[in-house]
Amino acid sequence: MAHDRPRIDIPDWERELERVGFARRLLRARKWYGADWWFVAISSLMVVGFLLLAAFPQVFAKYDPLDLVGPRLLAPGERPNQEVLILREDSEFESIADFEPDVRTRVAVVIDTPSSEAARDAADVATEERAAAGLEGRIRLEILRIETLDEALDSLLNGEAVAVVASSSAFGEVDAGYPDLVIAGPVSTLEQDATSFPLGTNQVGQDVLSRLIWGARIAILIGFSAAILSFVIGIPLGLIAGFAGGKLDRILTLIMDSIYAFPGLILAIAITAVLGPSILNIIAAIGVLYIPTYYRVVRGQTLSAKQELYVEAARSLGARPRAILGRYIFPNVIPSVAVIFSVNVADAILTGAGLSFLGLGLPLDIPDWGIDLARGQEFIRSAWWLITFPGLAVMLVVLAFTMMGEGLVEIFNPKLRRK
Amino acid sequence: MTAPLTQGSTLRPGGTLYSLDDVSVRYATREGHVAAVDSVTLDIRKGEILGLVGESGCGKSTLGKAMLRMISPPGKITSGRLIFDGIDLLTLKESEMRVLRGARLGMVFQDPMTSLNPLERIVDHITETIRTHERRVSAAAARDRAEQLIGRLGLRVERIDDYPHQFSGGMRQRIMIALALALRADLVIADEPTTALDVIVEAQFLDLLRELRDEFDLTIVLISHNLGVVAEVADRVAVMYAGRMAELAEVNQLFLEPHHPYARGLLRAVPNIELDGAKLYQMEGVPPDLRHPPAGCAFHPRCPDVMAICSQRRPGFDLLDDGRCVACWLYEDHEEAAK
Amino acid sequence: MHPFVLMFMIFGLPAVIALAWVFTRGGDALRRYIVTRVALTLPMVVILVSVVFVVLRVMPGDVVSSTLGPKATDIARETIMEELGLDRPLIVQYGTFLRDVFTLDLGNSFVGARRPIIDELGERLPATLELIIPAALFALITGIYLGTRAAVRRKRPSDYGLRMYSVIVYSMPIFWLGLLLRLVFSVWLDWTPIAGRIDVVTNTTLERTTNLLVVDSILTANWSALGSALHHMVLPALTLGLVLSGVFLRLTRINVIETLQEDYVVAARARGIRKRAVTYSYALKNAMIPVVTVIGLQVAILLAGAVLTETVFNWPGMGRYLVQRISSRDFQAVQSTVAVFALFVALISLAVDVVYSVLDPRVKY
Repeated sequence: MAHDRPRIDIPDWERELERVGFARRLLRARKWYGADWWFVAISSLMVVGFLLLAAFPQVFAKYDPLDLVGPRLLAPGERPNQEVLILREDSEFESIADFEPDVRTRVAVVIDTPSSEAARDAADVATEERAAAGLEGRIRLEILRIETLDEALDSLLNGEAVAVVASSSAFGEVDAGYPDLVIAGPVSTLEQDATSFPLGTNQVGQDVLSRLIWGARIAILIGFSAAILSFVIGIPLGLIAGFAGGKLDRILTLIMDSIYAFPGLILAIAITAVLGPSILNIIAAIGVLYIPTYYRVVRGQTLSAKQELYVEAARSLGARPRAILGRYIFPNVIPSVAVIFSVNVADAILTGAGLSFLGLGLPLDIPDWGIDLARGQEFIRSAWWLITFPGLAVMLVVLAFTMMGEGLVEIFNPKLRRK
Repeated sequence: MTAPLTQGSTLRPGGTLYSLDDVSVRYATREGHVAAVDSVTLDIRKGEILGLVGESGCGKSTLGKAMLRMISPPGKITSGRLIFDGIDLLTLKESEMRVLRGARLGMVFQDPMTSLNPLERIVDHITETIRTHERRVSAAAARDRAEQLIGRLGLRVERIDDYPHQFSGGMRQRIMIALALALRADLVIADEPTTALDVIVEAQFLDLLRELRDEFDLTIVLISHNLGVVAEVADRVAVMYAGRMAELAEVNQLFLEPHHPYARGLLRAVPNIELDGAKLYQMEGVPPDLRHPPAGCAFHPRCPDVMAICSQRRPGFDLLDDGRCVACWLYEDHEEAAK
Repeated sequence: MHPFVLMFMIFGLPAVIALAWVFTRGGDALRRYIVTRVALTLPMVVILVSVVFVVLRVMPGDVVSSTLGPKATDIARETIMEELGLDRPLIVQYGTFLRDVFTLDLGNSFVGARRPIIDELGERLPATLELIIPAALFALITGIYLGTRAAVRRKRPSDYGLRMYSVIVYSMPIFWLGLLLRLVFSVWLDWTPIAGRIDVVTNTTLERTTNLLVVDSILTANWSALGSALHHMVLPALTLGLVLSGVFLRLTRINVIETLQEDYVVAARARGIRKRAVTYSYALKNAMIPVVTVIGLQVAILLAGAVLTETVFNWPGMGRYLVQRISSRDFQAVQSTVAVFALFVALISLAVDVVYSVLDPRVKY
């Protein structure tokens, strides 16, 4: 019987087979792995979704996260209280822009409402529009502060005031009693004052939803960068330590174990405290935390792979250590690394959010979930949506990556399958 | 009328203690259903040592587990009856089955290293078994029995407080037997008990089995792929192939004059010192894929005496004149033989 | 009496007694192991503390600027550098640092009254303990119990449900969970107080010795104080405990599943041992061994979580102190607090290892 020439690259086609086997497994997996397959499938979709959000926030977010687009502390879905211009039916005007320029038109407002501010804003806008159209003159108002809405409306009826500016809902309650008065229209011509926001606005007037979407960008950026940093440093160190053994191994392992044992957040806090607030520093701080995880796993796998027969065979044939590392040991390490990576990203995002929540790290004007949570704390009584949604966002992203890792573990781990 | 479950058997030696009637066990695997045990009929006589042989994967271990009703999903006993001392085991509830296990049916496993709880002392293993089944026994009495048992099995009594990892393989197997005997089981199924032991320890172990059988009135089913072990110790031998029974005969009958072609092939394959340079015999072909077993007789693709009917219909397993059973058309009446 | 000494007496003394008991009862191998392990704690502390040193002094970053701000005058800089010892060579700094930590000379705070840091930490340590101990207990009991249940009912709906629970709970940022619980129970339902360790009024009636409110109120039979302390403790401990319980649930589940597939479990069933006995005394006990080794690492999560929880609930513990001191750029305090955390980790790790060695008879040294 003819013998094949001894092949050094046996693990190569074995590896090939593994890959094909995995793909086939993936497809058949749905029936066999049951819910675990769904775990991975759903979470992969979520991960892809978040990556899209992070990559193209301008596509998904309606507003710029830094713009003040609405009134402060607006609840989700609540329409801002519209200020309307109320005139007599027979009035010659139709809007504030119609008022005679350079004449102080009397407008009545109720005290302690946003009406006067709305009226003034509208007057300013009207003046700008005139200037833009080449017209001279300014729209000026004389604001009459009246105690109650009824008195203000009366002053309109008896001619003391030319118009009343009040909230549409307030007027809606009493308009039956004033048949001669009509709503000429909203005082503000700006569209933004009429819209509601799906997740509400925050304490300075920014759209919560847009901030959420933009926040994904920084969260995922930090998460992935930190994970990649740990990956890039931890794996080679683990390979070298496991392969070389001896003193180098012992020293490295000692250092890694110490970092590993240390409470992660606290170490990250210390590092950022020293390095100062910036995105790079946060990434560095979090990245350091996970180097030991990769190191340990890779080192362990290297140690056991080192004892495999085919590695000994390769060595006896004179293969160089780098070749052995690269072609035999490294491919065996990949499955566990994939699992660790996804969990790593999840944890990095969590730690990053924690750091920014504590106020340690990010420059102030970057939209970030942690910072939003921290700032929303003081409004916990009045505006529950400020803390709910950013935290929910963090949880969903972390959940997606964790579920992916969890599902992969069940699929990869032969011991957990029923015999 | 069945006796209370835990009462010892009242059969005389030679009577049928355990009768398996057309038992099948099926496993659902990723690649399809596998009939690990396929319509097996077997009777076990009280006081005998029955050897159950076959190559790896032929279903003998599965059969052993089935006898204790310890088949767990994705496997299932799909048909047949298991009658132990007049009790139909398949009609029992799990809690009743649990009462039988250990008390009347015992099992010794292949790997003594992993069959004992590393966190429990040996004495606790035994006393726990005793006190689970006999609630009223005091701790002291249980301990006494444990010590006696250990002593009887050739281990130093002082060591009863040690942990499993402090014993050697052979000693651990003795401990396993002690556990099976703690409650005077009627039937012990030993699943490859000597595979993990070296030859000398194995010989001692087999001697021990024989002694215990005589002293404790045991019936033993010895599952092994090692023909030598079985030849030495068994009274009767059952040969399995592809989940089915091939032949069942007295040990001398089988080894001197095997009937079933598979059994014949097995015995020819055993290396013989007198061969003196002649090539070793090797059976043609390989055992079948149990997901898609051959039609008719499972052995027919490899059989040197194959006939047309062998690929069409499955042979029965009836009793022949000389007291043995063979599942082969060579020994069964059929139209072709008449031609 | 100094708070740290008090803490040592309350926790250290029983620990030392337990250690001595194990020592005398155990066999030779166990004794040797314990001695070795205790001896190893010292180098471990040194290494941990050195890590702190490297992070805080060796890494790039200008401590002085962090402390004083970018507009510091030269004289101010020099004074600070001298005070912190930053003007001396690194080796000398390292030596001084080690000496300081081991003599518990933690320096003085830069802020406000410039009190000795050790006093400030001593006041806050009991608060942190009163947070993490109930949290840890809750997490352990819930996690292990539910984890075992999930393992036993594997691949059935309750298993998946429990796994989802653990994954969800683990994915939640602790501070968010805390805020949500606060929102629901303190703001909306008004069942629990909003912040702090104890009701302000009741506080004045409580005579403090250990500064562990629960202990103190029991000692003085001040039941209203006890009630108030427990009432305040519920939400923070629950927050921290819930997140950690998810971790323990997963750990226990995986280990029990693996253990249940071991041969000795099958062998036990073949002897007719009851399923419940098999699960709890065979599988669980064996599964606990790998879990215990990992518990030591969970302490790290516990401490990290404590920092966040204390911030959310305004709990006056060491974690919140750390964060406050960073905001006020009190470098000395930051350094000392982190070093104390390191000590914590080393001690608890020691305790866990000893427990592990007692549990597993196979351990040999």
